Amino acid sequence: MAETTKMAEDTKTDFDPNIVAFLCNWCSYAGADLAGTSRIQYPPNVRVIRVMCSGRVNPLFVMNALQQGADGVLISGCHPGDCHYMQGNYFARRRFNLMRNFLEYVGIEPERVRMSWVSASEGAKWKEVIEEVVEGVKSVGPMDSFKRRQLNW
Amino acid sequence: MNGKPRIGVYVCHCGTNIAGVVDVEDVVRFAQTIPDVTVARNYSYMCSDPGQALITDDIEKMGLNRVVVASCSPRMHELTFRKTLNGAGLNPYFLEMANIREQCSWVHQDSIAATEKSKRIIEAAVVKARRLEALDQKEVDVEPAALIIGAGIAGIQSALDIADAGFKVYLVEKSATVGGHMAQLDKTFPTLDCSACILTPKMVDVANHPNIELMTYSKVEDIQGYVGNFDIKVRKKTRYVDVNKCTGCGDCATACRQAGRISNEFDEGMGMRGAIYLPFPQAVPAKYTVDKETCLFLAKGKCGESPKCKDACQPGAINFDLEDEIVEFKVGTIIVATGFDVFDASLKPEYAYGQYDNVVTALEFERMVNASGPTGGKVIMLERGKKKKKKKEGEEEEAPKVPESVTFIQCVGSRDKSVGNEYCSRVCCMYTAKLAHLVRDKAPDAEVTIFYMDVRAFGKGFEEFYDRVRREGVKYIRGNPSEIYKKNGKLVVRAEDTLTSTPLEHETDMVVLSVGLCPRSDNREVIDLLKLSQSSDLFYLEAHPKLRPVDTASDGVYLAGVCQGPKDIPDAVAQAKGAASAAMIPMVSGKVKVEAQTSIVDETTCRGCGFCVEVCPYGAIELVEINRMGWHVNAARVNEALCKGCGACVAACLSGSIQQRSFKDLQLLPQIEALGVK
Amino acid sequence: MVDINKLREIAKEVISRDDVRQVIGYRPGTYGFRARPAFVLEPDDVDELIFTPACVNNLATYITLEEKLPVPRGQEPDSRKVAVMVKGCDSRALVQQMEEKAYDREHLLILGIPCRGVVDMDKVNARFPDVLEKGEIALEGDKFVISFNGTKEEVAKDELLADKCKRCRYPTPLVSDQLLDDEVERFAEDDYSDIETLEKRSQDEKWAYWEEKLSRCTRCYACRNVCPMCYCEDCVLNRIEPMWMRRSVDVSENTAYHIARAYHLAGRCIQCGECQRVCPMDIPIMELNRKFYKDVADLYDYEPGTDAEASPLLSTFSVDDREDFIL
Repeated sequence: MAETTKMAEDTKTDFDPNIVAFLCNWCSYAGADLAGTSRIQYPPNVRVIRVMCSGRVNPLFVMNALQQGADGVLISGCHPGDCHYMQGNYFARRRFNLMRNFLEYVGIEPERVRMSWVSASEGAKWKEVIEEVVEGVKSVGPMDSFKRRQLNW
Repeated sequence: MNGKPRIGVYVCHCGTNIAGVVDVEDVVRFAQTIPDVTVARNYSYMCSDPGQALITDDIEKMGLNRVVVASCSPRMHELTFRKTLNGAGLNPYFLEMANIREQCSWVHQDSIAATEKSKRIIEAAVVKARRLEALDQKEVDVEPAALIIGAGIAGIQSALDIADAGFKVYLVEKSATVGGHMAQLDKTFPTLDCSACILTPKMVDVANHPNIELMTYSKVEDIQGYVGNFDIKVRKKTRYVDVNKCTGCGDCATACRQAGRISNEFDEGMGMRGAIYLPFPQAVPAKYTVDKETCLFLAKGKCGESPKCKDACQPGAINFDLEDEIVEFKVGTIIVATGFDVFDASLKPEYAYGQYDNVVTALEFERMVNASGPTGGKVIMLERGKKKKKKKEGEEEEAPKVPESVTFIQCVGSRDKSVGNEYCSRVCCMYTAKLAHLVRDKAPDAEVTIFYMDVRAFGKGFEEFYDRVRREGVKYIRGNPSEIYKKNGKLVVRAEDTLTSTPLEHETDMVVLSVGLCPRSDNREVIDLLKLSQSSDLFYLEAHPKLRPVDTASDGVYLAGVCQGPKDIPDAVAQAKGAASAAMIPMVSGKVKVEAQTSIVDETTCRGCGFCVEVCPYGAIELVEINRMGWHVNAARVNEALCKGCGACVAACLSGSIQQRSFKDLQLLPQIEALGVK
Repeated sequence: MVDINKLREIAKEVISRDDVRQVIGYRPGTYGFRARPAFVLEPDDVDELIFTPACVNNLATYITLEEKLPVPRGQEPDSRKVAVMVKGCDSRALVQQMEEKAYDREHLLILGIPCRGVVDMDKVNARFPDVLEKGEIALEGDKFVISFNGTKEEVAKDELLADKCKRCRYPTPLVSDQLLDDEVERFAEDDYSDIETLEKRSQDEKWAYWEEKLSRCTRCYACRNVCPMCYCEDCVLNRIEPMWMRRSVDVSENTAYHIARAYHLAGRCIQCGECQRVCPMDIPIMELNRKFYKDVADLYDYEPGTDAEASPLLSTFSVDDREDFIL
């Protein structure tokens, strides 16, 4: 009896993460579009911001997104060597490696800061990336630590 | 734009594509509550004429100064709606699209979740729209010249069309002759035209055309610049033969010490050549080439007393001191027509290719049936690697054996996940039928069998040809063979006739593997030069699979021929003509618009550190000395013609001084807030 | 030991030159054991210059901090050189500033002071509390000699030495026009064990630790003001359009500020430790900067402030950069 109650409670507090994603126009955004054209279904937790290149994404966007209330952030770009602008994704890789390590050091779970390479023809991979990221964020719960306090005067 | 933002939000139903999942009425009601939204509407097809008219009317009557269209992906219709805005007198960059189809209604079945997500996406689009700015699209001149990489039938056709229109063409071919794979073919389906007969006139045309500069045995080494203004660097590899002196007489090839010892690539290894060679008799240009890997003089430093070719050459054209030449030139457009490789049949070891002499690929068989090929057009059993028995005095040379049965296996390397090629190569059913017909022609007594999975005879005259071939007695058995082995000196093909559910062990003298078409193994070189994308089958990716089959994602770069995907000669020619036409649009108009979403520096806050300069892949930024309140300081400055709008500089800048138009921090941060806050 | 007379002589020579505008050095502080920066404009003023283990300030920050006032019409800007005294750690700031093209090498006349360590003033004040008369600190061998009120006391070096000096790898300035003392060989190593200890904690412990520390921040911006690498005229972290974080003093905005500043210093912070020294709320800011420093050294084999010709860290990449965290 007690177990069933607990399960009901668990599903009630089942948390629906809110994840902000930055997708590069040429590869990942096109790949996500392909998932759409192919009608591949995936969880609705990810909200996309389109940029021209993953190299445009400032790591401080990650910090900002988490502070605003996003439970997780995903940056997705072209595979190394395939960047439409030749090298943007290499810079993104370096920046995010450092930022992710740093945020973990300050107490923000690494599951919240994710990066992926999704090409224009990888609609199926986009679904897998989303599922993996959503699962990861679910496992660490809602982002609370330094979330901006909303002023309700 | 002066004054407060007056934003119009248009939610498209896209028939039921969006409206079937997303509650569009609810979304419109929500949009109306967002500050600065003047009007919010929904309509069945926003991209249609009446749909666009809604926007145009509202701009005129309500004084809208920004537009948000919530519909399909911007990759689909951003241009369409930009034109709509332009037509209504509003700067086209005041448009923001909200993707609620490809990234919402099509991928989420949960109506409530999809509707909620649509609202968030639209809100993010509105907050960005608030901060959009009017942008100018600059125009640059277009160099009236085109570069075509690859001189197979597609490259040749594009070159001829563009040259005939009066533009200069630089046609660069890697191998020593033009013609590509089509030059290797004997007859072509379904008309049985002689391939060389229809190709060679075009090859000659391309060499003689006053507007075409043909560079064979050459490689494109570097491409810089942007549409209308590409800077090209080509390496013309040295043939070690002065082409101005070479008459193509062939004395050198006869004299060569290596004559008959080197495997001839043109004959797919079935024929031999020397170290100095002409790929085939009708090669264009008809100039000999020294292969530096196999030439004794070049590879080993010594060819007997003196190189025999040099001695034999009367015009004295051979010169081992000649070096590669680098040429540089400017073009306005580029067509990639690099063709294909055939599937490497050794990747299907069960077919024993390379193990048994008489298991050949279709291309090798093509060379065999070709009248100017290594067997003079005769279909004969092969004895590869076996030394010819020495003729005894008085004895007649053994007549080559004609196979009593020839078996074809279709779909080798195509429609086959196990070798990573899921796609159908499109041409093999027809060329197999053609080769089967040629066997019936040249070896009338031979039994011809074709093992197939499906027969795809979709084109003009194809079904009729397939019918004819079957009536000629070619036997079609439906079943994909599992292996080929030898028994009692005969090849055995093990398969199942799936229509009668009968397992077979089919004895045959010769097996021809109908190998599929694959992307070239040296694809990477061109991809790196031009930043081409690849489809999942690894052929080059076109800009849109339906509507833009000859364009690439990069302006000014087009695709023609099999490099974009398997196709037969008529389709390759059609696409080549299409690519030529597309390439001529900017050249004819003489001007082209360049990227408007470039970066710009705020010189009052720039600290001249040069991080952006180092990061820019196009060298579009430099540090210049400016006068800031009397001090001489350095600040970054962007060359807007070179800037391609990637934004890497913006992320590198610590002072926030360099920003990318349409993707400024002040435009993206509000989006993050709109999407991040629950 | 720096010969104080030699130091003053050299300073006098330098400031007497036509092409030198000022000499930035150290002079005794207003009370106790403190030292403070000196801005010598006239040859006579060199007599106040000192160099002792109390000279903790990183004077390199003044090179970029100097306000460029608008030049009146018709006049040329004052382009005379600036002479500055720098310890080993301070000199790295100059190198890094030059790597970022903040100024030309010729703009500076660098008077390098090979250093055997400075004191941590908090430790001195704890050991000798409430000293208001001017006192002096000297280093003799492995002991600090503290003189005040007519008395002299010897204290073991380790007791008063600043923590950063215990891991100093560059005691001798990496760049200088003149060295004011003999070169000092490296006497310590940095193994980042303090960072490693922090890394090993659980996620909850890590956030609890930083939440406590960062909620104390009052956004005084002393850390940014003293930092030699923070010299943007209009810091992005204070802007309203675009707004990266609010200026309100609460743990959320404070955390955002410190994360952002630390990230902006990734591959640039030269470990002078001034930020932590000046923080009035005792926030261990160096623990943030050192995390980036450690990762940059481990992952990308890069040390800021060592080579003025090097490319800045985040403007370069390698095709082999680690990517095991990427899906």
